[in-house]
Amino acid sequence: MTDRIVFEDVSRFYGEVLGVNKINLSIPPGITSLVGPNASGKTTLMNLMTGLVRPSKGKILVRGVRPDEPEALFKLLGYATQFDSFPRGLTGFQYVHSSLLLNGMAEQEAERKAWAAIERVNLVEAAKRKVDAYSKGMRQRIRLAQAIAHEPVVMVLDEPLNGLDPLVRSETIALFRESAARGAHVLVSSHVLHEVDMISDQVILLANGYVVAEGAIRGVREEISDKPLEIVVRCDQPARMAAALFAHDHMVEARLHADGLGLMLKTKSPSTFHKQLNRLALDGIEIESVAPADEDVNALYEYLIGEEGGTK
Amino acid sequence: MNFPLWRTQVQRIVALEWAKTLFSRRGLWVYALALLPALLLGIKSYAEQKRYAELAAIVEKAPKAPEVTNRLRTGIASDEVANLLRERNVPFQRFQRGKREFILYSDGVGRFRLIFREGKMAEKTNLRVASLGMDIQAYAGIFQFFYLRLAIFFGCVGIFMNLFRGEMMDQSLHFYLLSPMRREVLLMGKYLAGLLAAILIFGVSFLLQYWLLLSPHPNQQVSEYLSNGGWGHVAQYLGVVAMAVVGYGSVFLAAGLFFRNPLIPAAVMLMWEGANWFLPEALQKLSVIYYLQSICPVVAPPNADIPEVLQLLAKAAAPTPGPLAVAGILALAAAILVLASRAARRLEINYSSE
Repeated sequence: MTDRIVFEDVSRFYGEVLGVNKINLSIPPGITSLVGPNASGKTTLMNLMTGLVRPSKGKILVRGVRPDEPEALFKLLGYATQFDSFPRGLTGFQYVHSSLLLNGMAEQEAERKAWAAIERVNLVEAAKRKVDAYSKGMRQRIRLAQAIAHEPVVMVLDEPLNGLDPLVRSETIALFRESAARGAHVLVSSHVLHEVDMISDQVILLANGYVVAEGAIRGVREEISDKPLEIVVRCDQPARMAAALFAHDHMVEARLHADGLGLMLKTKSPSTFHKQLNRLALDGIEIESVAPADEDVNALYEYLIGEEGGTK
Repeated sequence: MNFPLWRTQVQRIVALEWAKTLFSRRGLWVYALALLPALLLGIKSYAEQKRYAELAAIVEKAPKAPEVTNRLRTGIASDEVANLLRERNVPFQRFQRGKREFILYSDGVGRFRLIFREGKMAEKTNLRVASLGMDIQAYAGIFQFFYLRLAIFFGCVGIFMNLFRGEMMDQSLHFYLLSPMRREVLLMGKYLAGLLAAILIFGVSFLLQYWLLLSPHPNQQVSEYLSNGGWGHVAQYLGVVAMAVVGYGSVFLAAGLFFRNPLIPAAVMLMWEGANWFLPEALQKLSVIYYLQSICPVVAPPNADIPEVLQLLAKAAAPTPGPLAVAGILALAAAILVLASRAARRLEINYSSE
């Protein structure tokens, strides 16, 4: 289990106020998104994992390392926080470079890695300017550069795509994917659900300090049995298909598309539906595509948490 | 135990922090505090230089002026004194205040004020220029009662409390806490950065003060003083400055970790250190100032600001021998830093509550 981030019955209270409660997680490598409305506990979870706050109860291990062992932890972990303040008077380059020097790196290696990270976030031109004079997006990028500069195998990134322009955003996402492919943990918090949907291998849904659901998006969706699965089918005979399917009681709803070449279906039993779909295809209905309509974070969020907070 | 890494990290923190501490806008008042005695001594030095110049001019213009001083006896008539001064070209001021008549003059050695009642001399006061010895003695008082107890004390409050608390308020402490570095190493790096900055500020100010103290006096006297233990005094005072910063710095660094409001521990500590003179001997030894006074090169005259009744209660404990006093301060600082490092290990980032 040393390649996992493990939370064992972790709770954190701020006086009487609940931060997170009874969290049990075992996060595998890959891109994991923490999703939840404001004050749901996303940042607290990240701060707990990085030792910035300590659990009131429970145990945390990040790839086998306790968060109160900073010497070992931050060799393998980089954290881009949401705190929008920097040590006074530093330029962007100095900020990243100093952080690498504190890692114990030699001057030249630190310089090389600092420039590489700054290049990755497309900030080379502004690197010699003081961070105080940066725009919000630039500050976001330099924080990201600092978090990834030492090439950590665990990246904890609090709203990392906020304020990034489209080009840097897509480059950053590519960086996450690349790191995840190498076996790294990339933990991202976000409230931009379509973005989460696009980048995540798995999600952790949080509400009011509790984990509401966790796992691969599809797996989580399948566990929500009280909500019928929405499926969009494009085919040449949608009316015939709807009639055939409604002969069975797993079907809840069918809505024909206006162009007459498709329909939206709601079923309580996806497996029965897929069997019948195969039979209909054999019976001569030409099926162009079948796609789940609510197997995304947005739908999960709506089903499990409600509509508060999320940004579609 | 990765000592080479810790050493490197401490060096990096010192490099990042000390200039920040030295040039922080928040710390401008520390400079004001450090330079206040230098400013006062500068004014005094200017006034004394002027007096020395006046005396030198009189020696040149009226070389026989001291003869007048030698001939003054109680009961001598004011007119006679005026004539003596005129004969020897000594400038003087003569004026009446009520029933008393005054004559002020300088004979090149001292400045005299003569008071006449009913035309006869009743009082002769030598308003002489402070001698080097008197100035050195007076400075011991300034150093111990103002510089150590107030300037360096509050300077350390400003510098050392900000090392952690200031960064919490600026919301930038996480930069360090997210580095692969033990909290103890961070604490030590910040402490050393604070020491460097504070010793530089207060050491330079002390040198300036001492230069201003000596500068109005004749070169020969100053050279004699310096070559007969004066340089030793300078070195010892600098050592006391360094030890004061070591002691108070550790206290206020720890206070910055334990308390949100620096005024409370600073006020308590100030009272403890200020009341030191009135405490039983055993308790006096539990203060920083006791050890600092033990290593001061010149014993300060009693504090004239303390009312006589209270002075009766004041009983200074016998000073500790120098090396023991230094060891005492270092041991105190080390013990406080150990406590502080425990607090640093438990430190959390919760900026919203700052």
